[in-house]
Amino acid sequence: MSYAYLFKYIIIGDTGVGKSCLLLQFTDKRFQPVHDLTIGVEFGARMITIDGKQIKLQIWDTAGQEAFRSITRSYYRGAAGALLVYDITRRETFNHLTTWLEDARQHSNSNMVIMLIGNKSDLESRREVKKEEGEAFAREHGLVFMETSARTAANVEEAFINTAKEIYEKIQEGVFDINNEANGIKIGTVSTPTNPSIGSNLPGGQSSNSCC
Amino acid sequence: MSEFQEQLLHADEERIKICRKYLSGRNNQIIDQWEDPDFGLYYKIDRYGFIHTDKLSRDFDEQERKEKEVEIQRAQKWLKMVKNWNKFKETNREKLQRRIYKGVPDKLRRSIWLKLLNIENQMSQPSDNKNEPSIYNKMLLLGFKYSTEVRQIDNDINRCFRDHEYFRERYSTKQQQLFNVLVAYSMYNMELGYCQGMSTITAVLLIYLDEEEAFWALNTLMIDKKFAMHGLYIVGFPKLMRYLANHDKILTKFLPKLKKFLDKHNMDSVLYSLKWFFVIFVERIPFSLCLRIWDIFFLEGERVLPAMAYTILKLHSTKLLKFKDMDAITDYFQYKLHKNFGYTDNFVIKTLEISLNELRTRKMDLPPPSDNIELPKCELGTFIEPTIEKKLGLRSSCFSDTEKNVTDLVIARSEENGNSLDVIDENLADEMSNLNTVTNISDYEGELSYMDDDLDDEITYTNSHQNRKSLTCTSITSISEDRRSISTLNQQNFEEIVKDDDGEYRFKELISNSIDCNT
Repeated sequence: MSYAYLFKYIIIGDTGVGKSCLLLQFTDKRFQPVHDLTIGVEFGARMITIDGKQIKLQIWDTAGQEAFRSITRSYYRGAAGALLVYDITRRETFNHLTTWLEDARQHSNSNMVIMLIGNKSDLESRREVKKEEGEAFAREHGLVFMETSARTAANVEEAFINTAKEIYEKIQEGVFDINNEANGIKIGTVSTPTNPSIGSNLPGGQSSNSCC
Repeated sequence: MSEFQEQLLHADEERIKICRKYLSGRNNQIIDQWEDPDFGLYYKIDRYGFIHTDKLSRDFDEQERKEKEVEIQRAQKWLKMVKNWNKFKETNREKLQRRIYKGVPDKLRRSIWLKLLNIENQMSQPSDNKNEPSIYNKMLLLGFKYSTEVRQIDNDINRCFRDHEYFRERYSTKQQQLFNVLVAYSMYNMELGYCQGMSTITAVLLIYLDEEEAFWALNTLMIDKKFAMHGLYIVGFPKLMRYLANHDKILTKFLPKLKKFLDKHNMDSVLYSLKWFFVIFVERIPFSLCLRIWDIFFLEGERVLPAMAYTILKLHSTKLLKFKDMDAITDYFQYKLHKNFGYTDNFVIKTLEISLNELRTRKMDLPPPSDNIELPKCELGTFIEPTIEKKLGLRSSCFSDTEKNVTDLVIARSEENGNSLDVIDENLADEMSNLNTVTNISDYEGELSYMDDDLDDEITYTNSHQNRKSLTCTSITSISEDRRSISTLNQQNFEEIVKDDDGEYRFKELISNSIDCNT
């Protein structure tokens, strides 16, 4: 399927915070509590529309166990966006954010957009991390923040799409060099339009939520 | 109480809470609704116990029917063979091998696995004191008390084979067994502890074996030289790194066009083959085929892994080369091949045999040996003091040199693959002939020729035996006293192992306490 841009995302965070469930909710619009264990990395993709342009998100979902970080660290390279996920019902997963963030900053390109996500917002009764704490952490480290629920789908679309919007804006501002694939952005395979002025604004025309 | 002590207490409490849940099973506790999958509407449970929520094709039923028919025909031969196993193994190795390649009848798989992994011998080691609990039970008790891996294991059981009748219900008997085996093993082999992937391996073992058998089977797979999976899972994954390097070499040699194609799409082998090596192809190829590979793996040892990885790519090369982007390729490796491999199991096994021969001829059937020891350095059952981070369940903020090396290695390989596109061209001509070999196998339906006398895989289990023996001498009191003081909380609940009427050791006190606790 044709797209104007492809953005590479990476999902990171402690084991069991719901990374794979977020991905599945975003790509397949369903919640599967019994999702298989992610060993190494798994992939997902979905097409979205921003500013009338088809953008393909290629999402790398990583294993959370500490042992795997030596491998998953190599996946930061060439990522345009990262979703850093913690579990609002488990304080440790929030406490580990600094380590994750240092790791991400060290191994990614400096323009990578990082979205902080407090997942499992539906489990309010078991909450251990206040929303304000997440907000404060995000503010302090210059991240975008959102609480989501992979189970109810609350904010899941927004989390992925808002990250894409930030990346898109950075492209518009000329911050990202889109000709360098190491930035995690690829210019799409939109067929050459007969009239370039129209074509550049209206690539494809597919529905926004089709899965690839 | 200092903050550190508080954290320690918190970690202790959490471990105990999790252990209690598994000891109670499904009774006497409230299980969150979302933890139990809803299989209200399903079409079929296949012959291996997996629940399918999609309607299966007629071909699937037909294949199951055929498999069963053939197995019934073969059952008598197999029963005889199992009965005279030792004699058969020595005098008729070729026939044994041929039969295993042709397929182990599912009903006899348990017996065959026990034999191939030498489990019965390991379990029947005489104990000095008949009233003393078995090594397994000792390790399990210690695990409940001290294992720092309980949380991760609990996390992973919650997402292991939940579409299987044994594992679908939270805290079901098999889930309890899976928890026990992994917790016990994390104490027995503390250099390894627990690594994601081991839950999958153990779950497959538990589909066929009992709890204690599965423990010894897991141990054999980890530390027996023939399998030596220990090196796959320890920090830095040294063995995985060697496998990946060898896999890349195999592709460059035998499937250069495909290698070039995968490199072009940035599909490093670590992205698609990690799970092949890590969990012996589980959830990457259909389960029926996977079991066939496991049977052969148990017979032949680790050389099956590179050959099967090569076989998958060989069989699917033409198809893969048609894909336009990375997403289509990953989708194919992740889901499509698991759902439908596109070739019958028998055909794949025949191709695997050819691959084994090809690789052996070129001396590529195994990666070059490691400079470092990839087996446990300490005697099994030795207590190794966990780091403070491990005890508290914290992620370490420092990266070890080993970890840094792995990252560098993975990145270097990816860059090398990107740069080596031209070198590969030299091997392109060979590739067509390789692909032809695949096509020709379709005519190859007769008895398989097992010409390899050099397959000198005499099943030697002395290694694991020695380890087990040495452990009987290892006293659990060797764990330093201060470990005990850490676990003062509810310690009395954990002390008692009781032998019940069936002669099995049970944690009686703990069970009754946990019930009290939940009512």
